[in-house]
Amino acid sequence: MPLRLNGFYDRVVELAKTLPDHSPNRRLEDVLTWFRQADPDRLRRKLAQRSGSARIPWLVATPLATLATRFPLPPLPDDFSIVATDGSSIPPDRHSPLRYFVLNTGYAALTYGSHPAAELDAESHFCFADAELYFDPQGKRIPIEGTRLGILMGIEEMVKLSQVAQRVPQPVVAVRDGSLILWNLQNEESELKAAYLARFLGALDELRAAGVPMCSYISYPGSQDVLNSLRLLACDDETRKCQDCPQTTPAQVLCQTMGTMRDRQLFRLLLRPGERSDVFESESAILKEYDRHRQHIQFFYLNVGDEIVRIEAPCWVMADPAMLDLIHAVLIDQCRRSAQYPPYPPALIEAHEQAVISAGDREMVEALIEQVLAEQGIVYVRSAKDRSKRARGV
Amino acid sequence: MNQANRIGEIIETGTTLFVAESFALNQPPPLGRLVYVQNGDIQIYGVVCFGTTTSPDPGRRAVRRSTVGVYDEAIYHEHPQLEHTLHTEFTVRLVGYSQNGVIYRYLPPTPPPLHFSVLDCHVNQVHVFTEQLTYLRLLLQAVEIPPEQLIAAHIRQAYQARGHDDSWLTGAARLIAGLFKNDYDRLMTVLNGIVPQEGS
Repeated sequence: MPLRLNGFYDRVVELAKTLPDHSPNRRLEDVLTWFRQADPDRLRRKLAQRSGSARIPWLVATPLATLATRFPLPPLPDDFSIVATDGSSIPPDRHSPLRYFVLNTGYAALTYGSHPAAELDAESHFCFADAELYFDPQGKRIPIEGTRLGILMGIEEMVKLSQVAQRVPQPVVAVRDGSLILWNLQNEESELKAAYLARFLGALDELRAAGVPMCSYISYPGSQDVLNSLRLLACDDETRKCQDCPQTTPAQVLCQTMGTMRDRQLFRLLLRPGERSDVFESESAILKEYDRHRQHIQFFYLNVGDEIVRIEAPCWVMADPAMLDLIHAVLIDQCRRSAQYPPYPPALIEAHEQAVISAGDREMVEALIEQVLAEQGIVYVRSAKDRSKRARGV
Repeated sequence: MNQANRIGEIIETGTTLFVAESFALNQPPPLGRLVYVQNGDIQIYGVVCFGTTTSPDPGRRAVRRSTVGVYDEAIYHEHPQLEHTLHTEFTVRLVGYSQNGVIYRYLPPTPPPLHFSVLDCHVNQVHVFTEQLTYLRLLLQAVEIPPEQLIAAHIRQAYQARGHDDSWLTGAARLIAGLFKNDYDRLMTVLNGIVPQEGS
């Protein structure tokens, strides 16, 4: 039955009233002016000292060098490739008598220059064995589903990325969509966390050994970690709790304005199309595990033309000027080849198209299972609840 | 089978027509061309009646990609994935078949098999098949393009393959006059379409 929409209009109007005022105003310009002359050394000192004073409740980012430098677009090589991967799954279905899941990892390898070429394909896995469905099947028997399945998919994407990037014409940039920081792993059981991290970081290690710069591309990022650091820098009394702040002095008003912004808004004011910001280092409990592999994740913001994107990469990529410039140039070139506006890299679009599992695909998998079971003399019956949703009798 | 004249693979099939995907992007066989499918010892003949290039995924539409400096062929150089994300299809209406050296100019008993190759006819095959044009009536059923356009295109293709055989062309014109005896305008459309051009 259709949704009962009466009453929705008033609620949406209420929602719109809660949004911060984004009309061009002087306060955002004030933030930009202050940002341009902010001292990165002083910020780094404050960040290093903060464990002693008031705990900051937010995630912060540390500037590796400067704060507000703009880096222009570097030159692009004549011949190069880009490889992107994306993943999709059919999760385990509790209404089915069989427990299984499907992972589909799509990839796109595009080569440009004197010998243009494209390879678009996917690798699909049907997982049904205990060892595939559960972590530690004999012991803790943790089911692989939900966020754990998502993490497993991320691992498969990284592994595929590494495999394909090593066999296409070089130089190559490897890219995937979504953060490289496995936030969701933080809450997982420690053995599972360790095992999954090892595989993910192992794939990053392979890319490093092969000398392939890899990064992740985050469109329309919601992050605020740079602004959170700037708020710490602006603060004139760190001993006082934020909720007790009177928000009256210019520094306090500046902090309050920054609290309503996201990083993408700040860098939209700063960066011109094609330019990138300086590099920042993320912080997060899980990144301490990354440090063991020397794979700490850093990031910069990039103006691709009407959108600010966040590009994350391991520290060994950011520390290599040739790799950093190649990523910058190739991603802007991808956006130049994008048919839509604001632009999005064609490599990521095609990887996604290869990964997507349609409703028709799902039905085919089920039909295959039903048929094979029938050949074995087994009748495939789903739950009564599920059948009531499919048959929908009146 | 000679590999060199394989031009496509059947992706939809039926009693009156089939749809094939071309091996080369943007290069379907010409309108009106006589083509065939080899199924065991039977050759099934058809006339190309439509061609198109689109995305095989109905959810994706082609978008403008040209810029000031990049257009036409350069677009395919600039976007190498287009060779994979686009495909060219052509439709063929069945007009007859041959078995044990005998030609039959009516619909075959069974449609050509799905996924089988479509081949371009050799000049000799065109000669033999177009000796009699009784099958032209089958082309009147075309809905993809006006039947008079299809018939004219086919006659032009056959005329060329037959080395500009004028006496054959005259016979064809007579048969066509019979087909369109009740419709002067459509008749003239066909005749204007098959009269040899200067220098052709």
